[in-house]
Amino acid sequence: MSKNFSRRDFLKLAGVGAATTAVLTGCGPASRYVKREPYMQMPEYNYNGQSTYYATTCRECAAGCGLVVRTSQGRAIKTEGNPNNPLNLGKTCARGQATLHGLYNPDRVTDSLKRDSRGSESMQVMDWESAIQVVADALKNNKPEEIAFLMGMAPDHLFDLASDFAKATGINAPVRFGALSMFESRATLSKAAKNLFGEASLPFFDVGGAQVVFSFGANFLETWLSPVSYMRGFAGLRDGQTKKRGSLVQFESRMSATGGKADEWIPLRPGSEALVALAIGRLVSELRDGPMPRAFSSVDPLEAASKSGIKLETLEHLAGMFANSSGALAIPGGAALGQSNGLAVAESVLALNAMSDNFGKPGGVYFSALAPNQTEYQGPASAKEMRELVQKMYDGKIKVLFVHGVNPLFELPTSLEFGGASKYVSQIISFATFPDETAREADFVFPDHHGLESWGYQRVATGSAKPVLSGAQPVVSPYYNTRATADVLITAAQLAGGKFAQALPFKDEVEFLQSKVTSLMSEADGSISAPDILTFMAYFQQHGGYWKLSDARGIPNAADVLNRSFSAQEAEFAGEGEFFFVPFVSPTLAEAGANKPWLQELPDPTTTVMWNTWVEMNPVTAHELGIENDDVVKIVSEAGELEAAVYVYPAIRPDTIAIPFGQGHTAFGRYAEKRGVNPVDLLGQHFNEAGDLAFAGMKVKVEKTGKKKPLSRLESLMGVYGIGLGEE
Amino acid sequence: MAEHNKHTDHAEAHFREKHLMLDPLPRGQMNEMVMESMHTTSWKFWVVFAGLSVVVAYGLFYSWGVMIAEGLGVAGVNRPSYWGIFLVNTVFWIGISHAGTFISAILRVFKAEFRRPFTRAAELMTTFGLIQAGFSILMHMGRVWLSYWLMPYPNQRMLWPNLHSPLTWDLLAITTYLLSSTMYLFLPLIPDVAMARDRSSGWRKTFYKILALGFRGTEGEWTHLRNAMNIFAFAIIPVMFSVHTIVSWDFAAATRPGWNSTIFGPYFVVGALHSGMGAVVMVLVVVRGTMKNMKYFIRPEHFEAIGRLMLIISMTWAYFFFNDYMVQWYGGDKWTKQLLHFHEAGPMGWMWFVMLIFNVAIPWAVLWNARWRATPWIVFSVGLLINVGMWFERYIIIPVSLSINRMPFTWRLYQPGIEIPLGIGTLAFFILLYMTASKLIPLIPVWEVQEGQMAHELKKFGRETVVTVSELE
Amino acid sequence: MVTLADLKISEVKLSEEHVGKWGMVIDQDICTGCQACVAACAMENNIPFVGEEDSGYGRSMHWIRIERFWEGEYPEVKMTPNQPMLCQQCGSAPCEPVCPAFATVHSQAEKLNLQVYNRCIGTRYCANNCPYQVRSFNWRDYERPEPLPNQLNPDVTVRRRGIMEKCTFCIQRILNAQDKAKAEGREIMDGEFTTACAQACPANAITFGRMDDPESLVSQLAKRSHGVKHLEELGTLPNVTYFKGG
Repeated sequence: MSKNFSRRDFLKLAGVGAATTAVLTGCGPASRYVKREPYMQMPEYNYNGQSTYYATTCRECAAGCGLVVRTSQGRAIKTEGNPNNPLNLGKTCARGQATLHGLYNPDRVTDSLKRDSRGSESMQVMDWESAIQVVADALKNNKPEEIAFLMGMAPDHLFDLASDFAKATGINAPVRFGALSMFESRATLSKAAKNLFGEASLPFFDVGGAQVVFSFGANFLETWLSPVSYMRGFAGLRDGQTKKRGSLVQFESRMSATGGKADEWIPLRPGSEALVALAIGRLVSELRDGPMPRAFSSVDPLEAASKSGIKLETLEHLAGMFANSSGALAIPGGAALGQSNGLAVAESVLALNAMSDNFGKPGGVYFSALAPNQTEYQGPASAKEMRELVQKMYDGKIKVLFVHGVNPLFELPTSLEFGGASKYVSQIISFATFPDETAREADFVFPDHHGLESWGYQRVATGSAKPVLSGAQPVVSPYYNTRATADVLITAAQLAGGKFAQALPFKDEVEFLQSKVTSLMSEADGSISAPDILTFMAYFQQHGGYWKLSDARGIPNAADVLNRSFSAQEAEFAGEGEFFFVPFVSPTLAEAGANKPWLQELPDPTTTVMWNTWVEMNPVTAHELGIENDDVVKIVSEAGELEAAVYVYPAIRPDTIAIPFGQGHTAFGRYAEKRGVNPVDLLGQHFNEAGDLAFAGMKVKVEKTGKKKPLSRLESLMGVYGIGLGEE
Repeated sequence: MAEHNKHTDHAEAHFREKHLMLDPLPRGQMNEMVMESMHTTSWKFWVVFAGLSVVVAYGLFYSWGVMIAEGLGVAGVNRPSYWGIFLVNTVFWIGISHAGTFISAILRVFKAEFRRPFTRAAELMTTFGLIQAGFSILMHMGRVWLSYWLMPYPNQRMLWPNLHSPLTWDLLAITTYLLSSTMYLFLPLIPDVAMARDRSSGWRKTFYKILALGFRGTEGEWTHLRNAMNIFAFAIIPVMFSVHTIVSWDFAAATRPGWNSTIFGPYFVVGALHSGMGAVVMVLVVVRGTMKNMKYFIRPEHFEAIGRLMLIISMTWAYFFFNDYMVQWYGGDKWTKQLLHFHEAGPMGWMWFVMLIFNVAIPWAVLWNARWRATPWIVFSVGLLINVGMWFERYIIIPVSLSINRMPFTWRLYQPGIEIPLGIGTLAFFILLYMTASKLIPLIPVWEVQEGQMAHELKKFGRETVVTVSELE
Repeated sequence: MVTLADLKISEVKLSEEHVGKWGMVIDQDICTGCQACVAACAMENNIPFVGEEDSGYGRSMHWIRIERFWEGEYPEVKMTPNQPMLCQQCGSAPCEPVCPAFATVHSQAEKLNLQVYNRCIGTRYCANNCPYQVRSFNWRDYERPEPLPNQLNPDVTVRRRGIMEKCTFCIQRILNAQDKAKAEGREIMDGEFTTACAQACPANAITFGRMDDPESLVSQLAKRSHGVKHLEELGTLPNVTYFKGG
């Protein structure tokens, strides 16, 4: 630059520069999308350095915990519990925390896709107009009874939409399923409630108010029904300041994280739970010197002791605990119900509560409060009902299958052959947010928004004393070219016309939601009320839902319980092997957490293993078989086989092995794929009387492979087990 | 040489053969021998040189580059063994560097005459060893590009290094030691470089001319030089002791079982001498075996004398080892007890026993015999084993002891990764520097040997031939 | 001449001087080990995940980890109460004096143990000297593929390879709350904010708050007789109190 650069030159140059800039920004392609507003009125989400918080509902499981999501500059930063939501009172579990790793997962389905052939990786991106046309054509060109919806446990609003749609058009009623509900044995619980109390409802166990809790396999501190609320209950049980510290006794063959917290862990023989519950009932009644109820009269405690492997003294001691407590509570759940006699177990354990006379009392058994816009308990499909669906698919009765929110190819036992049956379905349309196994086998993937980008609501099925309808709203605008499945269905129904259009007379998803909550506006005792629907909806979103202010739990009618007779029959086990097989849901991953890297990196609460699947085996058994930690073994059942590394686990029966469910994905993104194994491969088609899968009713063989796979564990083998310290 | 020996009787011949100091050669001839040893380079030298260069290029520079780019994840350090072989090597090389000063300064101060031919070889070890120690500690840092933050340099934020931290003491001590030992190496080198300057041409002449600083050998220059050397010889001894004591404080000042031991200071100093003497002996055997004319300068009498020193140091080390063990065991802290047990019986227990065998059992078994310790290959082997043993000792103190702490949930073993090529790289670089130096500067301090020979004389009293030493200066 | 009594007095003085400003009480009896705190901490503090191989080699970056041991043998086997282990924010922290670069320092205002990321040169001496082993080192630049970085908390520095990090008691939340209180011209109220771990904990096993306020919930809890502090005998003056069991 010359020395003689004058002020005038500078101004000239500056002018040219300014003009150029103006031209570029003013007439560039961006301007078409930019709406100019004064700087003073920025949208609330765009203040520099300020976070905006939105209330919504967690979609990681179906419990319906309220979330408050912190966003900054249009990005979701952190999920926190909604302190006002009566279900979780501001708390979240690990999965709720990691939901952002789903939202910003690098492996989401970004556009609507048409797959060249099922299972192949080659596919075409479709625009949404043609995608909706595909749905409309599928509706129009098939008979209603040939169309089916398979849906997950969440969200409820979409299930309601599909149900209403199905009811109005004659389509098959939507089937809901989730691996969690399968491992929870929800159907068994509600069936047992119906048999005992005459009402098919989901029992609510007031752990927090109890003094002594006997849990028969219920892993309520992990994934069972509503873990966040049950953990709060557990904290109440343990409270030793305002009352006497309560104790927990856990009956299970493999120590779960819940069992790890128990004061006494009773490793009974799998299948003997009903017998033990009845024997305890008898002993309690003997201790009280009252008349022997019919329910327990036929059981022999000595026989129960020998069959269950629990010492008679232990049974008597437990009975003493139960009898002498002012607030004893017995909970049936988990693997105890997932056996051939699961219904009997559920009934006898529920009956044990009659000895404590705790029905409808604090620290006792209630019926879960129904959600505000709900009239009766709607349970998910049991495994048996899923088999009926699979059978219909096999028979070619289903031509179009819409799948949303569930991944049956991963979650259903392989022996149910959903994969095989899907070949007889001419069109499978998946609404998956993530490229899961089922989406890979679908002809079309029309991705739904992530839960944090979605509208909706979730009914709280259990866990809250008050009826709760958790509301969901988008906390960020959709990151990818996805579309709400409700919107897709509504638009497609309009396109299909006729009865379809009449069935869904809504502009969009939000209008549908409004129609569903309108009735709550004027209801008494609600957390919010408003004179018009728009205000009501605004409150509904702002507060993260709607709930009643008073306790609405049902009181079971237990008048007749003790006069019934219960089957003390032990469970039957399928297969040849010498080991009982206990699959359990990984408390950190559950059925759809494997694609979230931080969930993978969370140590399992009992074993501290990260990023993989392990096989739990008793140290004595391992020693006898010559197996050490990290040795890969082959597990063979009548339904299949798999290979995984052994974790020598001090708290499992010597005749039992256990494998967590959650890994073993063949699709589902980079963090989940080709990692670990899926224990449902070992499960045969065996059901209990309520139709739930007898997932804990298998016997398996263990074979050595000679291979090693070092498990990634947080704990130290040296420090925790003394292995390699030179002390063994 | 034959003519010179013509009139000597049998006893005298025996003395001359045995003792360098009594076997004088004309100054010119000796100078020529040293010059020849520098100039004669066989093809084998170049093969080894090329081989080591490749090892250094890959092991040291490439691997280090990879580690800088990728992070310390490529190494084997983990929780709880946050320090691994890098620190082992640092302590090891500082240990090696100790013998140089010990031999040169302490023996000079105590006027041990056998030191004369190999003080230079030992001093070179000090400087070159410290360079490797510096490399090792730099490698160990997570963000080596910010290592200058450890230097107390003026800056606008008035941020200084933390003088509470043993690492800062370390840095100061090692820097002091490196500078002073380099100067101490340089001072006695001046007359020899001047000698080489007068006997060479071409680039070598220029090189020596610069190094010789115009030394002409006048009485005044010699007086100044002697004074300077004396001051340095006395001054560097406390520096030497302080360096390894301070290195030991890295460990002793920490709140860790097994480290928090008050005896660590002297224990580390003796350990350093132990490995350092072993290294000196190895270097001397190699120099004697591979370089021309060196058999004249380095004789079995020297190995015999160093061997005796090694034996004494080995005994001292064994005492301090016992003392350290005793004090820690007697302290009765539960974690320390666990750690001591882990040392012997844990997965690395073999290393603990090998350490004791190499550092104590073998030296004691071998070095008591004067003939054995005068045999080059035997002392070489013992020196090698002592160095392996001492490296193991540091390995046990650092990563093995770090595996055990007060949080048993985190105990974990350490498995080296890229430390191995990097460690080999430093070793190769050490040898490479030594080889280069052997061709550039006289490895034998000629003037010192000549000075010694002038002071020693064989005199006959009757039928006895007696050695007399006249007081120098 | 210094007498024993003098020494005792100085000891008392020392501990009084080191009464923390912020403290935590963890009830191990109700901690279910569910890992919600671990996940919440990772999300709040931009902690990278390290993958299977590194996590199995003791390189996981959790700022809080849940320890459990076993007692007895089958069938009388028991899991010891879950023990969430995080930086104890020692009043007299062993990690502080050993850092040559003043990267780990004591905050005079908050009386917390700070890690100054941009001053850290990665000697890892602090981690060796931490008796609780709660410091984690960035062994590599751990990858967060797009769009995962969208989730990063703008209030917390993203660390690169070669530096040490650890629990900060969510200092970004402390500062936010203090700014807010200052702007409103008041003191911070007890329970106005809490750390990410305490906020998430479904069992409410973690309580966080002002230690120097005798009325606060956390200092009330910390006074209970069954509270213990880990490795107190080392003189670290930890600010986390544990309730071991029922």
